[in-house]
Amino acid sequence: APLPLQKLRDSSSETLLSLSWPTRKDEPYRFTDTSYIKSSEIQPITNPPQESDFSSVSEDTHLPNITIIDGYLVETLSGLSGLPEGVYVGSLSKLSSEGILKRLSEFVSNVEGDLFWSLNGVGAPDLIVVYVPEGCRVNAPLNLRYCSVKGSDVGSNTLPVSNPRVLMLVEKGGEVGIVEEFVGGDGNKCYWTNSVLEVIIGEGATFSHSYVQTQSLGAAHIKWTSIRQESASTYKLVEFSSGGKLSRHNLHVQQVGPDTVTELSTLHLSINDQTQDLHSSLILDHPRGYTNQLHKCIVGHPRGQAVFDGNVRVNRYAQQTDAGQLTRSLLLVPQATVNVKPNLQIIADDVKCSHGAAISDLEEDQLFYFQARGIDLETARKALIYSFGAEVIDRIPFAYVREKAKSHIAELLVPTVKSIA
Amino acid sequence: MMAHCSTSSSLNPSNLFSHPTFRTKTLSIPRLCSLSSIRIPQSHCATNRSSLRRLPVVAGAVAVDSQASYTDEKEGKKLLLEVKDLTAVITESQQKILNGVNLTVYEGEVHAIMGKNGSGKSTFSKVLVGHPDYEVTGGTAIFKGQDLLEMDPEERSLSGIFMSFQSPVAIPGVSNADFLNMAYNARQRKLGLPELGPIEFFSHVYSKLDQVNMKMDFLNRNVNEGFSGGERKRNEILQLAVLGADLAILDEIDSGLDVDALQDVARAVNGLLTPNNSVLMITHYQRLLDFIKPAYIHIMENGRIVKTGDISLASFLEKEGYKGITAA
Repeated sequence: APLPLQKLRDSSSETLLSLSWPTRKDEPYRFTDTSYIKSSEIQPITNPPQESDFSSVSEDTHLPNITIIDGYLVETLSGLSGLPEGVYVGSLSKLSSEGILKRLSEFVSNVEGDLFWSLNGVGAPDLIVVYVPEGCRVNAPLNLRYCSVKGSDVGSNTLPVSNPRVLMLVEKGGEVGIVEEFVGGDGNKCYWTNSVLEVIIGEGATFSHSYVQTQSLGAAHIKWTSIRQESASTYKLVEFSSGGKLSRHNLHVQQVGPDTVTELSTLHLSINDQTQDLHSSLILDHPRGYTNQLHKCIVGHPRGQAVFDGNVRVNRYAQQTDAGQLTRSLLLVPQATVNVKPNLQIIADDVKCSHGAAISDLEEDQLFYFQARGIDLETARKALIYSFGAEVIDRIPFAYVREKAKSHIAELLVPTVKSIA
Repeated sequence: MMAHCSTSSSLNPSNLFSHPTFRTKTLSIPRLCSLSSIRIPQSHCATNRSSLRRLPVVAGAVAVDSQASYTDEKEGKKLLLEVKDLTAVITESQQKILNGVNLTVYEGEVHAIMGKNGSGKSTFSKVLVGHPDYEVTGGTAIFKGQDLLEMDPEERSLSGIFMSFQSPVAIPGVSNADFLNMAYNARQRKLGLPELGPIEFFSHVYSKLDQVNMKMDFLNRNVNEGFSGGERKRNEILQLAVLGADLAILDEIDSGLDVDALQDVARAVNGLLTPNNSVLMITHYQRLLDFIKPAYIHIMENGRIVKTGDISLASFLEKEGYKGITAA
């Protein structure tokens, strides 16, 4: 294997030795039950997908795009025309530039993750690389389509696991947008996607990140996003997650220089018997950082759950930080559960920080306003739920992704609104 | 013009007959039966004129006198709203808040209800449109021959009652245009008319913007979100202009407005008045009445209407205050 991949496997194997399966006694998993994975027979997917598997992959794509099936990059389903010169998107093993290889080696697995991070490091069949050279602006968003094709039936108690891993480096002044889309499986197909995205955003560079997760309702979806922001860089994330039986996003943003901009907007939907979890940590160690986090979730099932642990740490040297955090949860049915733990830890003394958390059902006053204008309760509820989510969705910078997310929400809401109206 | 609103809280026919307006009519049957028991078949709820004319037939079929009351006419005007002995409590605390309100409104009339804070004016208007904060405990409210109290809030709206809210709620994430379009289409559906798509609707509503002196971007903003007090009131009137109403209840449409904004709003309301639709204003101040002229003024106190008169009552009020009224 190429050097960075070998390095990743070695260090991951090493950390794995000291890690055990998380339990409810471990703070990061206090509210999130991972026994769905643990009690299943886990089957690593060790062979690249066959052509016969491709038929289930939708052809509806936007260019440029790469398709990753069960953790393997499938070139015949990818199209990369139109990328500027010097940009590399593809498998590490096909990378010929010594210079890029050397740069990547500096960053591989620098961040401490958790058990799932390390499992991915050991299990990743390949390292998929996105490299944007200095000063390069990529106009069209790059689409990363993650498809899970292998899956077991409900009740079989087996989970085929895939470990896609992407390493991305945006050099100084570079600018790029990516759309990560996780799909796969009809209905309730069971599988486990254990994915890692690692990004280094160079000085003054901008990375716009859209992440859409609509995997099967039998899926376990564990995702790590680790971001390293150099000075004056910008990171904007918009996430929409509605799939999976168990879905957990670990988001880690580390500031390594001053004057950074970080905007995190996330929308989680637990409309079925499922758990949606976001654990984010944003660590500021340098002056004049600006961060803004908005997390929203909607729980519309008596056994549905949403978990949010949002940590913002403003350390000693992060003076003049402007940090805002807001979380809003909508519980649509009795017994729907939300566990939110927004927390700001501020050590610097010259900062502007705000945070807020709200948990509610739909506002009676708003519903009545609709009715008073002749609009029935069902339509009113739908419009209000939809608009609650739209605040996040509208921040997705790409129209076709917004439309997709919106129609997905509309579909999910039809039966829910009917049953609660 | 004389008052035509009874101040009694019990149904005393002699009291009604003492009333000049009613003296011109013959009410052959004492109105003692419970009006809330009357149900009109759904198919007759349509609000177009022709079906309204058929209502007496329906009334005959159910043989209840109150149906006939809808065909009651005063100087050729039809009875629009008849509220009798309406009592209500606050849902949560069960505290009594309306103590027997009586009010009759005919087509084309402009009424104003005045009264101190807490006298029950706003509560009365909210009860008429079915606000869930209040629970009706007695009395009746008949609108265009239909039992209002049996209807859901959206049905009341669709049947032609519009209340402009005193402090309309903001709805983040729903644009004014979308909201109006939804409401407009609900009305079209009810009337069996074609619904309008967003683009057609936009051009339909565009013409109404001038009436409330609002700019185009008003439609793209979220409903009442970040609106000033004046903008909220204008928005209510815009909704009224787009949706139309047989009875517009304007709950303190003048509060929080400067004179210019008040004139704008009043001009818009006056522009919407026709010989057939009616307005019920709730207000503290006479200055609104300088712009929109009511034929009747009712003074509310302690959850009931204690006095009814013409416009002169307002100037009396201005001079003597509510104390003067109750002492008089």
